[in-house]
Formats: sequence, C-alpha cells, structure tokens
Amino acid sequence: MKIKIDGIEIEVTSGETILEAAKKSGINIPTLCYSPAFGGKGHCRMCMVEVKNGNATRLVASCTYPISSEIEVKTSTPAIEKIRRNIVMLIAKRAEGSELMQEMAKEYGCTDNALQGDPNERCILCRLCCYACEEMGTSAISAIMRGIEKRIATPYDEPSAACIGCGACAEICPTGAIEMLEEGGKRTIWNKTFELVTCEKCGKPFATREQLNYVKQKSGIEMTGRLCESCRKREVAGKMSQSIVELN
Amino acid sequence: MAVNAKELDHQKISQIIDSYPGEKRYILAMMQDIQKHFNYLPREAMEMIAAHVNAPFSRIYTMATFYKAFSLVPKGRYNIKVCDGTACHIKGSNVLIDQIYKLLGIKPGETTEDGLFSIETVNCLGACAIAPVMMVNERVHPKVTSSSIIEIIKSYGGEVNEPAD
Amino acid sequence: MSPLTNFDGKMILVCCGTGCQANGSMDIYHAFQEQLADNKAVEVKTYTKSTGCNGWCEKGPLVKIMPDDITYIQVSTKDVPEIIEKTIINHKLVERLLYRDPVTKKRYKSHHDIDFYKKQHKVALRNIGEIDPASIDDYIAVGGYANLDKLLNQMTPDQVVEEVLASGLRGRGGGGFPTGMKWKACAAVDRYPKYVICNGDEGDPGAFMDRSIMEGDPHSVIEGMITCAYAIGASAGYIYVRDEYGLAIKNLTKAINDARARGYLGKNILGSNLSFDIEIVRGGGAFVCGEETALIASIEGNIGEPRDKYVFPTEKGLWGQPTVINNVETWANIPVIIAEGAEKFAYLGTEGSKGTKVFSLVGKVVNTGLVEVPMGTTLREIIYGIGGGIQGGRKFKAVQTGGPSGGCIPESLLDLQVDFDTLTKAGSMMGSGGLIVMDDRTCMVEVARYYLNFLAGESCGKCYPCREGIKRLLEITTRICEGKGQVEDLDLLKDISETLVSASLCALGKTAANPVMSTLKYFRNEYLAHIVDHKCPAGVCQNLTEFYIDAELCKGCTLCAKNCPVDAIKGEKKKAHAIEQEKCIKCGQCIDNCKFQAVKVR
Repeated sequence: MKIKIDGIEIEVTSGETILEAAKKSGINIPTLCYSPAFGGKGHCRMCMVEVKNGNATRLVASCTYPISSEIEVKTSTPAIEKIRRNIVMLIAKRAEGSELMQEMAKEYGCTDNALQGDPNERCILCRLCCYACEEMGTSAISAIMRGIEKRIATPYDEPSAACIGCGACAEICPTGAIEMLEEGGKRTIWNKTFELVTCEKCGKPFATREQLNYVKQKSGIEMTGRLCESCRKREVAGKMSQSIVELN
Repeated sequence: MAVNAKELDHQKISQIIDSYPGEKRYILAMMQDIQKHFNYLPREAMEMIAAHVNAPFSRIYTMATFYKAFSLVPKGRYNIKVCDGTACHIKGSNVLIDQIYKLLGIKPGETTEDGLFSIETVNCLGACAIAPVMMVNERVHPKVTSSSIIEIIKSYGGEVNEPAD
Repeated sequence: MSPLTNFDGKMILVCCGTGCQANGSMDIYHAFQEQLADNKAVEVKTYTKSTGCNGWCEKGPLVKIMPDDITYIQVSTKDVPEIIEKTIINHKLVERLLYRDPVTKKRYKSHHDIDFYKKQHKVALRNIGEIDPASIDDYIAVGGYANLDKLLNQMTPDQVVEEVLASGLRGRGGGGFPTGMKWKACAAVDRYPKYVICNGDEGDPGAFMDRSIMEGDPHSVIEGMITCAYAIGASAGYIYVRDEYGLAIKNLTKAINDARARGYLGKNILGSNLSFDIEIVRGGGAFVCGEETALIASIEGNIGEPRDKYVFPTEKGLWGQPTVINNVETWANIPVIIAEGAEKFAYLGTEGSKGTKVFSLVGKVVNTGLVEVPMGTTLREIIYGIGGGIQGGRKFKAVQTGGPSGGCIPESLLDLQVDFDTLTKAGSMMGSGGLIVMDDRTCMVEVARYYLNFLAGESCGKCYPCREGIKRLLEITTRICEGKGQVEDLDLLKDISETLVSASLCALGKTAANPVMSTLKYFRNEYLAHIVDHKCPAGVCQNLTEFYIDAELCKGCTLCAKNCPVDAIKGEKKKAHAIEQEKCIKCGQCIDNCKFQAVKVR
C-alpha cells in the first residue's frame, strides 16, 4: 500500500513501522535508542511523528507504529521539534559526561537551564548493550530497578558468571559509557577481569578465552588456529585468491 | 546482618520451586513464596528459579529489583511498613518516619543491628480511612501518632532512644 | 444453607473489612460466636457473620443486628455482653453505641437513616457488609448467579455485548473507556484463545474501593468475568491482585473454588458451550502494573514495562491474543446490568457517564470511608452532605481526584457535577475514584512534590520523557519546597510537563504532570509565596515555616505541650504558652491539637 511521508508517496508493506519505511526511502527521522540490529524499541521518543489517519491526527513513535492504512505522516512540526529539544535537554543533563549528548544539546539549542547535571554519567539508557548481550545469548547485563533508579548492571554489581568479556556491549554503546580496560594481556569489563588470548600470527591480544570457548560451544565449530580478526580476514582472503588463481 | 549460607534450607526452596511448572510466567509467584518464607530472596533461590524456568539469572535479578515486594537483604523480625499513601501523607506519615529514625536509628530500607526491626515505606495499604497507618508484620496499627508510636515499638520489645526531657 | 434473607431469630453482622479489623473487629466477631454458643439465656436462633467493609471506616468497628436494622458503631469486645443481654435477649437498644449527629444530637438506630448512608446509592457495593464474602450461599441468597443460566442458555453473545453497550458503562479503573465497545471489539476478532483479565492492582494511594469489593463480594467480580467470557468467547480468566491485599486474595481464592464446585466455572458451565476458569495472579508491588499493557507483561512473566498501544489488547493482548481487561468495580457492575437491564442502569448518572461510582473519601473530612453515588453528584454533596465537612472545623482547600494521575480541585469548583468528562475538563480526572480532601494545613506545592516523588519510584523507567521528566519536575518542586526556587522554575515546570503529555509512552507518563499543572493553575500564589516570600502559608514545608502561639488566644490548657514529641512548648497552666523554635521539628501536632486555634503559622 502507499503512504505519504512529508508529502512524498512511498510504497510500504502492512505491519512495517513508519521508521522502517522512512529509512528505506532515505527519509531521516532522528533517534537515540534505535539500531538496525534490533529495530525500534520506543524508549527515547525522539522519533515521534504526526500521523493523519482519516480525520484523526495524533503523535506517535514512528519506530513502533505499525502501518495498517494509508496514512499521511509529518516528520517535523513545531510540536515535534519541541519534544525533541526537551528530550535532548533532559538526556544531555542526565549524561553530562557524554560528548555526543553535549553536541546534540548545542545543536538543539538547549544547553541553558537550571537543572543539575551529572558530569560522571554517560549512559543514556538506550539499552543497546543489553540487547547485544541478549543476542549473544549470554544476558550478563540487564536494566535493573525501575523509575529514576533504573540502570544497567550485572546481578549484584558483581562479576557475572555469564559474562564472556566479548565487549559487544562496549562496542555498540553510542556514548562510550561502558568501561573496557585492556592492559598487560588482560581485559576488564563489568568488574570482571579476563585473560586475553593472543593471535598466533601477529601476537596481538584479541579475545578472551571465555569468548572463544563460548563461540565453539554455541557453533560447534573449532576454529583452526587462534587468529585475530584482521589476520583471519587476511587468511580467508588469501585462501580465496589462491582458489581463484587455481581455477584459472 | 549476615546470613549464614549453610543455614539456608535448600530443601524448602526446591519444594517451593518444584510446585510450579518450569515456565517463565510463574517466576513472580515462585519469588513471592520464597520471599514470604525466608523474609528475603536468597541469591541461591534466585539461581534455582533461573534454572527451573530456563532463563538467564540476570532476568530473575531484574524482576527482583523491579518489583518492590522483594528484598535482597533479610528484613527484621518485625518489619515495619509505614504507609506514605496520600491520605496518610497529609496526616503526617513523614513525621512518623522521622520519629522511627530517632527511636531506632534506621531509615527506610534498613534493619536494626540486632535484626529486630526493619522499616520501609509503602505506597498505600488501602486503609486510608484510618490514616496514618503503620503495619508491623501482618498487624495493622490505625491512626498512629508520633507519641503512640513509642508505645507500639516498645510493645514489640524495641529499645528506643527516649527523647531527652 | 444461607439463612440470609429468610431467617428466624437474630443475625449479627460484624464488619471485618481491613479498617475495622485494624480496630479489633475480628476479636468482636469471635466474642459474639463464643458468647452466643450454648447460651441458655438466648432463646432465639442467632447467626453471626463476618462481612466485608461497610464503608464507614471512621466509625468502625461496626456491628449490625438484623432484622431489627440496628447499627452499632465504635464497638469494642467489652460491649459484646451488653449487646447480647440488651439487644439479642431483651430487644432493647444500647443507646450509647448508636450514631449521634454532632449538630442535632439525635441518635440514629439504623444506618439507613444516617446522612453518610442515606445519600448513597449502592450498586457495585450492593452486597458488601450484608453478606459473608466467604459464603457462596450468601451470594446466591441475594440473587447472585441467578441470571447465569438465562445468560448462557438463552441469550446470544451478541445480545450480551449489546446490553453492556446500551448500559453506557465506562471503565471504572481510570480510563473511562466504554466497556461495551471494548467487549464488542474483542468479540469481533476471530482468533482464539481469548482471555479475560480483572485489574485488581489498585495502586492509587488513597483508593481502596477495589480492595473492599474483592474482599467483601468476590463473587460479583467472578460473575462479571463469566459474563464477558461468554460474550467474547474466552476460555481463561486472570484476576491480577496486588500483593499487599492478602485478605482479598484469600477471599477470591475461596470464591473461585466454591464457584467451580458449584459448576459456575469449569467445563460446559451450566450445560452451555462455555468452558471458562479463573486463575489468580499476585502482583509484585508496582503501581505501573495497573496500566493494562504492563499488567499483561507482568502476567506473562516479565517486568511491568508498558508497550505502545497502537494495536489494542482487544486485538493483541495477553500472549498476543485478543483480551478484555477491566477494573474490579467495572466487573462488579456487570451482574446488575444483566439482572436489571441496561435501561435501569442507565437511568442513573449523567449523559456521558451512566450509573454510579464508588469513591474513597479520605483525608481531612469528618466521615472517611467508601461512598457510592450516582455520577453527576456534586463534590459539595459528597464532601459536605455525606462526608460531614472538614475535620476540626478547618477550612476546605482542595480535593485531589484521580490519584497521582489526577489533579487538585479548588473551592470554587465544589459544585462540579462529578463525572468522567467534567473532572477531565477541570484539569483532573476520575481515576479510580480517590477523593482526598485537603484543608488549609495542606501545602499544595508539597502535594505536587509528593506525587512526583511517588511517580519517580513507580515509573517503569523505560521511556525518556517520563523517567527524566518526572525526575526533573521532582527536583524543581523539591527545590521550591526547600526555599531555593526561582520564578523561572514555573516556566520550566510547564515546559517539561508538556513534553510528558505529548511524548510519554503510557498513561503513567502522560498524566504524571497533572498534580503539578493543576496546583500551578489553581494555587499559583502558593508557589510564589514559597519562591518570592520564602514562606509556606500552610505551615508544612519545614524550612519555610515557623509556628508560634498567639498569647491572646492561648488558654494555657497545656494540651499542646503534653503532646509535643520534642518537648518544645513551655508554659504554666492557664498561662500563655510559647514554642522554643530551636527545638521545634515542625511536626504540626500542636496546631492540629489546639482547640482554640491559638497556634499559628508565621
């Protein structure tokens, strides 16, 4: 079916979210908690848009709103811009330690207010780290507590038996709020210290033992040789070009 | 107050957990039964629940910290719940909370050194007509005042810091 | 066998709702049982029953004697022998236990003649206080389940939906959504299984109507749910009860078991096509679980985080299946609609809000308790006509309706005819029916701060506007109460509130700003007094309050000094007293106790 976003007519499938449809058509809607890996979760409300369905108009979160009729969408109105500005103001104050958020606050012109900020905080509670950990199958971290006390943690804030030190959480975090220290062949993350395994080829420490064991356990595949990502890529590329040469 | 892990009744925990199917929708019920019996949620009990329903431990822990019915540390022999619901609040429940701090030295969420009393504030006990309300374990105390509270705590064997004359 | 309606002898009904139980009514119940058993002096047959909440908690423990229709108030166990001797044996009244009107000094025998009850109209509360909630026979004796056979075997599901639609019944939990429309939408979905849920998570502080219905008349809820199950084609029902309501859970459990034993629940109920059963799910202590999608998440075994409702639960609810979820009081009304018809039900109430509503009238009002009146009754009639006005002869300031999602209504709107739409227009909402009466000793800024503090801990914490917005609103109002507010704060409060309304994911966030916005609207001067004058006119905010004794009005009765918890008041008998400011903790006991209004706020 067809819908209109900002006057542009686009083809969509029933059940698709407005955000997904917009992204496919190259229309930009700002988000803070969205990632292509996990889709829209509805946490940040930055993606609010105005939807006109028949005679009714209302504001909805485009990342969770499933399209089921021929609606007309506006991605920006004064009301929507006000919402985005205030959300950025609130989050920038919350996560005063995040450069990303301070830049956004400047962009939205909401740096001047009488609220108390926390300069040590970077977490914006987008929960992408939790989704990544869940996707890994480890679920070592989660969003504990509720309300204003909500935060990301391992159970009891203690080293988690389930954590394999893969660092996927730190990698996906948009504000660098997860501390991952690597020093002397060891990696420390979420209060747990792991020994890093070194690459057979280049000698660089690249993964934790637990990580490799976990991958083996889950996939049932034993990797031939302990190679870091770049060396493995080079090896695979090498093998491929060799087979191309042989074919020719 | 430390709890000796050796004293934990594993059999009782198993008995409670096994009485429910191993499905995630019974997690809350299992935790409630354990909370009621042990007066808190022992870590081992939560780990056993996780195993029983095949869920990650972090999920059980998340639920235990989200729902206020649960305590991760043992409560006192007499658990005081001071209602801070609106009706009680406008009748001065926060004064009672301050009073208890003066009498027992504990703030909401804490337990006395001797393990006798713990205090928490609750949002509404549904007995608004007899505000301000205070519960000690299952017993409801109606229309508590900053004077009558001294007698109530004494009646449970509490040694109070009497106000100086 | 229930002798409820047709009995020989005397029936003693002892109120055992939570309020009266806290005042020892269980002991009174046992005392009657013990002292009447094998009592040779009693010639008539006697039946002693414990009932649910009579609603007049201020005057409990209540004991009623039938068929004489006597209501004794503030009874204690010591009174039991006298009641047995005078009333049961000698058919005389124990005058001192009868209610006495504080103005006319007249004593009333029956509670039916007392203003508190006379002006009420009980529909949802029809049985409570009249039956033993643990007895299914009592429920049947007063007409319960009487229409179930006709419903299941003679009416069609569509006819049932139409009847509920015609009644105009709107959800009593807070949303006020037309119940018939909800059932109709769910009945139209051709996907099974379907579910019926009762929302017994009553989380509004100050509200206890659902508790009294679940405790005092559990079968009315069950009968309502069976009716819906038939109408939409559901096979399983869940009653979600907040964990704190132990007695409600106990009485509901017994009621479900008894209903099942009689064939009202289970397979092919009363020989019809309907197979339906009910399970109780205990809440975990979370106000947000009163929101329907959070409640559903909780039953599913998750934390109570709400979801965007672009597709309604009637289409995709519990476990993704079509689900009808209604509040306890809504369910309690259903059997009446089926029994007496939609037209009779719709006779009461206003154009947009049919029927009656149960309110919990609490706070600084003389008669606190549960009150059921037709929609359209004015606030004045409820607070003064039934509630007896403000305690201690103090001045009415505001009434808070709708719990933390509602707002404060000032004196100028006392003649508002209460219904869903009038309350929303006034900047508040019906909510579950909490009416918290406030007097001049209540600080409206502190009330806003109190509700924000409540919501800060109860918000699920998932969406940004709610979690961060409430946090900042709380921060600002706390600052104002401490005397550190700025005038610009008022604009910031408004700005953040607007975002809460427009961008929050669920109703908790969307209505979280109501307390602060409504108090700002009607009590802006009080905010300014805190910010500009550094004073709390109500004498509540401790940093901005000073109590003093007016020497001209003080009679030296020493009542204040005797009750001061920190011994801060000094003075000789019959001479003017004075407060030692350094010792004073601003608890307000003195100003509340003084019969001469001699203690004042500076």
